[in-house]
Amino acid sequence: MIKTVDLKKTFIGRGQTVHAVDGISAHIKPSEVVVIIGPSGSGKSTYLRCLNGLETLTSGQIIIDGVDLTAKKTDLNLVRREVGMVFQQFNLFPHKSVLQNIVLAQQVVRKRKNKEAEGKARMLLQKVGIAEKENEYPIRLSGGQQQRVAIARALAMDPKIMLFDEPTSALDPEMVGEVLEVMKQLAREGMTMVVVTHEMGFAREVADRVLFMDQGKLVEEGTPEHFFTTPQEERTKAFLRQVL
Amino acid sequence: MMVAGLWVATKKIDYTWRWNRVPQYFVYHDETQIPAPFDGHVATLSKLGDKMRIKVISDDGEEAVFEVDSNAIEVSENDTLFEGDYLGATFEWRAGPLLVGLWNTLWISAVASIFGMIIGLVTGLCRVSNNPTLRSLSITYIELIRGTPLLVQLFIFYFFLGTVLDISRIMAGISALAIFAGAYVAEIIRAGIQSIPKGQMEAARSLGMNIPQAMIHIILPQAFKRTLPPLAGQFISLIKDSSLVSIIAITDLTKSGREVITSTFATFEIWFVVAFLYLLLTSVLSQVAAWVERRLAVSD
Ligand SMILES: Nc1ncnc2c1ncn2[C@@H]1O[C@H](COP(=O)(O)OP(=O)(O)OP(=O)(O)O)[C@@H](O)[C@H]1O
Ligand SMILES: [Mg+2]
Repeated sequence: MIKTVDLKKTFIGRGQTVHAVDGISAHIKPSEVVVIIGPSGSGKSTYLRCLNGLETLTSGQIIIDGVDLTAKKTDLNLVRREVGMVFQQFNLFPHKSVLQNIVLAQQVVRKRKNKEAEGKARMLLQKVGIAEKENEYPIRLSGGQQQRVAIARALAMDPKIMLFDEPTSALDPEMVGEVLEVMKQLAREGMTMVVVTHEMGFAREVADRVLFMDQGKLVEEGTPEHFFTTPQEERTKAFLRQVL
Repeated sequence: MMVAGLWVATKKIDYTWRWNRVPQYFVYHDETQIPAPFDGHVATLSKLGDKMRIKVISDDGEEAVFEVDSNAIEVSENDTLFEGDYLGATFEWRAGPLLVGLWNTLWISAVASIFGMIIGLVTGLCRVSNNPTLRSLSITYIELIRGTPLLVQLFIFYFFLGTVLDISRIMAGISALAIFAGAYVAEIIRAGIQSIPKGQMEAARSLGMNIPQAMIHIILPQAFKRTLPPLAGQFISLIKDSSLVSIIAITDLTKSGREVITSTFATFEIWFVVAFLYLLLTSVLSQVAAWVERRLAVSD
């Protein structure tokens, strides 16, 4: 479903070069849930953002569902429809109501009729458990509710893959659960997911595979079982000691 | 206080206020006298509302019908007429020079604002685009316009472009104003776009929108809301700056004021009235802007 080959992303600015992603090769299968963990600044977000073309690669190759993102003739807008993304800061559209947030891209990008788009939006709001808020503006929702709307907004495009970049990090602790619950449900339905998170409980329970990144490199990967019980690399052990 | 001060001040220079002369320069009752077209007599008079219809027959049997105001009729039935005798008069309300000037200022500012907005929007978008050519072109335009006085720009538009491209003085004036306002609007739009968090564009793109779609649906509506107060300020400035077009002989409010003064000598009165009329236009505009702002505040 997703294949990255020796992916590199280098930021050059103010006299210093940052190798944010430094040669990552990975293969993610359909319906697989992959959790990426790693210390701050290790390039997790950058890697994720490369996967839907929000960052342009310095070198390497990404193939999503058979489409080569790095090929010149590839229309990234077409790829992005198939790859949903959920951000740490929610990034809901503040000038649109909850319903309009979910309807807009369906109409603009998928060219769906208003009725169809609204029907889909209501169905998804039901699914993430905030059907009663459809006419509210985002500012009046709690963080957890906003993030669930953001998930519904991404799902409305019928993506084949969902990317999550620390979806619960900006939330008050009591709201983390409701968002993780929605993500678990998605995983059970067979969605292909790549999740950057610090929620080790989620990784243990839901992930098919855990990737550990440090300094732009893929240090270790394995099943949650392997990962949390018998990690091999010294850096992994050090990181796990800190977070567990 | 201020009124008293003014009164004392004008007392000292022995100025006679003639406010009663002012209203006629807004509207006046225009009298048209209607003369008999030939020698003959009045055949019939018939009432038609507050008009009177007069049928006259010439000595050769030719007929003609006129309408005059009933209270300004000067003939009665069977009167003998000679060519040129007045049958009566009609009265009509006409706009005086101040009203005409106000109207000209209003529409010149409105048209210049619309084009200024379009130019500013396009330039503002070029200013934040990734294309270096578009960016430097827009910066050059903005710097050129902001670095020279509007008065000089008006002269260049009128004397140079007006001659070379053969455009009318009113076109030259409106273009100069629009291009002047466009440069400032562009900077306001740029600041507005850049004030929207990066995450908004990223969220829009991650849903598959291309850049124009994201701009139209996500970035510009939010930027517009934030830039409404400075934009309103810019267009208020434009109304005031439009008074400079009087210098290239466009009959706007300022020029009308000057013309009225040459025939009334009511210098002080007319300038006060002109100032008041500008104030009227600008305060209506700022009220409208405040209203729009309140309407847009629903999502806050
Ligand atoms: N746009 C950018 N310009 C320059 N440097 C950047 C940019 N984005 C990220 N970086 C740098 O790249 C490195 C990796 O950043 P990234 O955000 O991918 O890390 P991360 O693993 O997501 O960290 P965190 O857990 O804090 O979110 C960091 O050193 C960061 O400073
Ligand atoms: Mg990050």
